[in-house]
Amino acid sequence: MSGFKRDWNGNAKKRDGPKPPAKKVVQNQFTPMFETLRDELDQHHDRRERIIKASRDITALSKKIIRKIDEELPKNIQAEIDTRLADISKHLATIAPEIQGINRYRYARSLMCLEELVEALTFLHYLKTQTLITPEQLTPIMEDLVRKGITPSEDVAMTDASEPAAATPEQPQENETPKVSLTQDDYLYGVFDLTGEMMRFATTSTALTGTMAGGGVGGDEQPRTIVEDMHELGSFFEMLPVGQGNRFQWEKKLEVTRQSVQKVERLGYDRTIRGSERPKGWIPDLSGGDQAEEE
Amino acid sequence: MPPMIDPSLFDQIKSKIEEDTTVRKELEQIVDELHQHVSFTQGLLSKIHSTPRSKYATLLPQVEEGIKSQVATVGKLSAFASQYPYYKYNHKWTRPLQDSLSTCLLFTWLSTHTLLTPLQLATYYSVPLNLTAQDDAFHITTEEYLLALVSIIDDLSRLAMNSVTLGDTALAVEISAFIRDLHAGFQVLNLKNDILRKRVDSIKYAVKKVEDVVYDLSLRGLIPAAGAENEKKGE
Repeated sequence: MSGFKRDWNGNAKKRDGPKPPAKKVVQNQFTPMFETLRDELDQHHDRRERIIKASRDITALSKKIIRKIDEELPKNIQAEIDTRLADISKHLATIAPEIQGINRYRYARSLMCLEELVEALTFLHYLKTQTLITPEQLTPIMEDLVRKGITPSEDVAMTDASEPAAATPEQPQENETPKVSLTQDDYLYGVFDLTGEMMRFATTSTALTGTMAGGGVGGDEQPRTIVEDMHELGSFFEMLPVGQGNRFQWEKKLEVTRQSVQKVERLGYDRTIRGSERPKGWIPDLSGGDQAEEE
Repeated sequence: MPPMIDPSLFDQIKSKIEEDTTVRKELEQIVDELHQHVSFTQGLLSKIHSTPRSKYATLLPQVEEGIKSQVATVGKLSAFASQYPYYKYNHKWTRPLQDSLSTCLLFTWLSTHTLLTPLQLATYYSVPLNLTAQDDAFHITTEEYLLALVSIIDDLSRLAMNSVTLGDTALAVEISAFIRDLHAGFQVLNLKNDILRKRVDSIKYAVKKVEDVVYDLSLRGLIPAAGAENEKKGE
């Protein structure tokens, strides 16, 4: 297991002295008990590691989705998002049986990926509908993701996830599709992060198109812009009572959200000022704005 | 155009956060109560370091009373906590529960020289031990049992020394044998880099402390007859 020393020529060096004997395990009255406990701990650690690994992959994929949809949403990008989501599905499906029931919260800390995934899904939803997705709307999307991950390669997923004895308690789930549930914290912290993404989106789209993102489709007298949406999200979080569990993290996220709101506010202000100056000068140059409105 | 945020969403989330806060407050009360019983029992148990074994007969029943009130509080905790996801709030009580378990383990070892297995311990507390993933309820976890065990090793190593001071060399030898066996038992585990490993790593110091005591005794020929044979061979 451990490494070995090399001599000058780089060949493995013989150990000085006799080889240490294999670690002798003393057997006594307590050994059987400790062996049982060891097996339980091993199961837990293995499961945790599998979850962490999948979680990292899901996080990375979610971040890629977010980066992509940052730049508007033409068809080719939708296609890329779909493939990424398909990848996420597969990862979700492998860990789904392991995070049922009591294990959902046991590994909650190893499942930070769900926050990122929520961020990606809420952002996607916002860009398509200009509304905040509710937890109820997310539930079927998550179920769908897990189901898609299982159906194409059921056997592969199963052999991956099952180790000889450890998985037996989770096996009864095999027939019905296991669900990956989102906790309230997954949702809320995902939405916190959404405000950051909306800020980035507002900045780039304003710079590129010269108009404030939002509105347009409804044909109302005054389409709602992203500035108002950010204000609404900001007040939403300000009004919520602070959860007792993770006050520190909540405060931190809230502060970042405040900053994002103010940045977008500033954008709105700049737009208003420049917008009022523009008619006097050279409007036609900013034709990029028209394209954005057609979408 | 639909509003940015569904009007019902705010109230829905707000009420969930408020519910969570209430649950936490209630749990804190029960955990406080457990904490008080545990401190009292630990205080009583600290008297073993100055009480000769002949007087255990008066001390241990008091300890048992303390443990019984702990068990009652754990019962309350179990009933309340089982309504919610176990691992969501588990961190709130895991420390006082470990302390409670260790008073119970120490008590049984002192009175009968036996170690309660996880199952026996869970039975004593009338709570479940291991649950399948589907039963999300209060129980004693493997880690909690092991951590409790580490802390009685610490206590016993101290007792080994003090028992010699009290003139009870036999107890020191018994403790030495017990700790050595437990130490060997812990070697069986595959530990990850976590709190359990950190605590288990400290066992070796307890072992050394007790071995030093036994060495001092054997050097001076103070080991009582039963334990003496092995030691004399080494001389």
